Amino acid sequence: MRRSTWKKRKSIIMGMICLLLFVQEAPYVSADGKTDAYHYSFWGDAVPAPAAYEATTIITGKKLNTTPMKEPSDMHVTANQHVFVLDSGNGRIIEMDRNFKLVRTIDSFEQEGKEDHFKNPQGLYVTEKGHLLVADSDNHRVVHLDEQGKLVKIVSEPKSDLLKADFQFKPMRIVMDKGERIYVMAEGVFDGFMEFSADGTFSSFIGANRVQVDPVEYLWKRFATREQRSQMVMFTPTEFTNLDMDEEGFIYATSGDRGKDPVKKLNAQGTDILRREGYQTPQGDLLYTQEAGPSRLIDVDVGDSDMYSVLDSSKGRIFTYNGDGYLLHIYGGIGNRLGQFNTPVALERAGDRMLVLDKALGEITVFQTTEYGRTLHEAVRSYYNGDEDQSSVLFAQAAEMNANLEYAYAGIGKALLRQKEYAESAKYFKRSMEPKGYSKAFLLYRKELMREHFSWMMSGIFLAVAAIVTVIIVRRQKRRTTNAGIK
Amino acid sequence: MQASSKELYQYPLHLIFHPFDGYWELKYERNQRNSLLIAFMILVLLVITKILHAQYSGFLINLSNPKYLNSLLEMLYVIIPVLFWCVANWSLTTLMDGEGKFSEIFMSTCFALVPLFLIHFPWIWLSLVISAQETAFYYFSNALAVAWTVYLLFVGNMTVHQYTPAKTVLTMLLTLVAMAFMAFLCLLFFSLVQQIVSFVVTIYQELVLRG
Repeated sequence: MRRSTWKKRKSIIMGMICLLLFVQEAPYVSADGKTDAYHYSFWGDAVPAPAAYEATTIITGKKLNTTPMKEPSDMHVTANQHVFVLDSGNGRIIEMDRNFKLVRTIDSFEQEGKEDHFKNPQGLYVTEKGHLLVADSDNHRVVHLDEQGKLVKIVSEPKSDLLKADFQFKPMRIVMDKGERIYVMAEGVFDGFMEFSADGTFSSFIGANRVQVDPVEYLWKRFATREQRSQMVMFTPTEFTNLDMDEEGFIYATSGDRGKDPVKKLNAQGTDILRREGYQTPQGDLLYTQEAGPSRLIDVDVGDSDMYSVLDSSKGRIFTYNGDGYLLHIYGGIGNRLGQFNTPVALERAGDRMLVLDKALGEITVFQTTEYGRTLHEAVRSYYNGDEDQSSVLFAQAAEMNANLEYAYAGIGKALLRQKEYAESAKYFKRSMEPKGYSKAFLLYRKELMREHFSWMMSGIFLAVAAIVTVIIVRRQKRRTTNAGIK
Repeated sequence: MQASSKELYQYPLHLIFHPFDGYWELKYERNQRNSLLIAFMILVLLVITKILHAQYSGFLINLSNPKYLNSLLEMLYVIIPVLFWCVANWSLTTLMDGEGKFSEIFMSTCFALVPLFLIHFPWIWLSLVISAQETAFYYFSNALAVAWTVYLLFVGNMTVHQYTPAKTVLTMLLTLVAMAFMAFLCLLFFSLVQQIVSFVVTIYQELVLRG
């Protein structure tokens, strides 16, 4: 009796233990603790990776033989690798050459015979011709200077029906396209970027973020009374945090909140045309703790061959993606070591160096590509330029240095596919978790196999069918005779 | 009566193609012990299918991370829903004058799962030789299997409880609600237990560290 109750109890306990497995909180995996380079796999796990960049030097005001930088907020590198830093706290622009030697500082310009200064400027852009555009935030204007530092024009307080009467123009970030149109990211503007035509008149907004609605909050709002609702936070679209322009004139933009797509590539109509074909959409860190929250992307830099990097201010990390949206590498971090930052604000590429501007420390960290980084970039570049053989060789090298770089295997697979090595190609595509390529290679491999073995396969099937039919006939015959015997 | 090996597979196959006859036989004519045996076997086969599917099926259709494959959990993913369904259905139908006993409900449910096994099992291997375009067939047959199973569940419920079709549909929907309710209660219960356990553990640690 006792034993049977124990048995029952045991089974119940077993059941409970099984159910406990469901209740268990999902273990929180975090990329934290891995201060060195890491990568995200197809499955979204953080996996180790070799560093693509390593920090080499730090540039400070002292090193440039000038006064220390005070809260610099933006930076720009021109094609000939001259570095322009916007030293907001001192209201000046510092220009350095490619070896980080001071060329000049611009702290004033001449306007109608009088000397004029910047007041807490936040955004800087240097055009191909070397013209400087400064978002002179506290003066509520955009200053356009030519390569000598002479004033070309000033864009101030735009007038338009699209703007509210009490609108205060406070430009924060700025770019200019080849047609001399100016795109401004202004504070408190939720309608997208402000577009100014070449003569400085406001024309329209482009590329507004859509409103993100939290379903739970929405439900609450539905139940709330009008008074309660007026107390609640409005659903507002997220603001952009930064923008950059690539060689073709597309605007890359980042938004701070982890909305649906924190990185965007806008065409002239303001439509998002960023390719998101990678394993995960470009968004910075995939894994994060509840307290720290997702990445807050505050700068984007477009390199060559459609590669672009985004800067995450909350963790101080830089994420580089290729044109298809595959993550290439991650580096940087918040900390005290060389190659880590305190408050990173701006990101610029100068050749194969990467510069990160730190606002609080007033310094620039210079990163240099490692062999791994160079190989990977070169592979992406050759693929972008259509040189698939070259790229597959480079991808193979990159994969050798980083076996976790699943993306590289697809490059090898593509080359093998063209060399008609279908089985091998399918294997590499599979390793790269690339269903489309895998399917293509596998289909060709299957066809090849079928063609090769068609004769004996078909005869085999024919023989099998014949055998089955014979067996059935014989059985039927037998049954008939036995039945006849019974009768 | 010993179950002949032939009967073991012939009867479920007969049932899924002739559900009305099959379930009638299940309730009134067949040996209950044999049927129960078959039901358990179906469940085991389904568990095996599920595990093999997660591990071995082609990567075009297999979206699970093999690194985190846990056979025990895969097993529970099959058994728990079936068990929940049976318990919820039994609890409801006792109140709604169903004529089915628990064992009958369990058996009829398990027999309804045969198409899932029959269709999914070959796909584990077929999926290795298909291309991306052909995955449409996989998804189609998947949907077919589910539809078939639902149909069998419907007929099974109707026969076992001797309900009208409308009442059967209602019962099945209510069963789903009851399952959700049970799941909620279970989660609540176990999270409470966990909290109590962690509370006790904390006190124990406190005592150990102070003492």
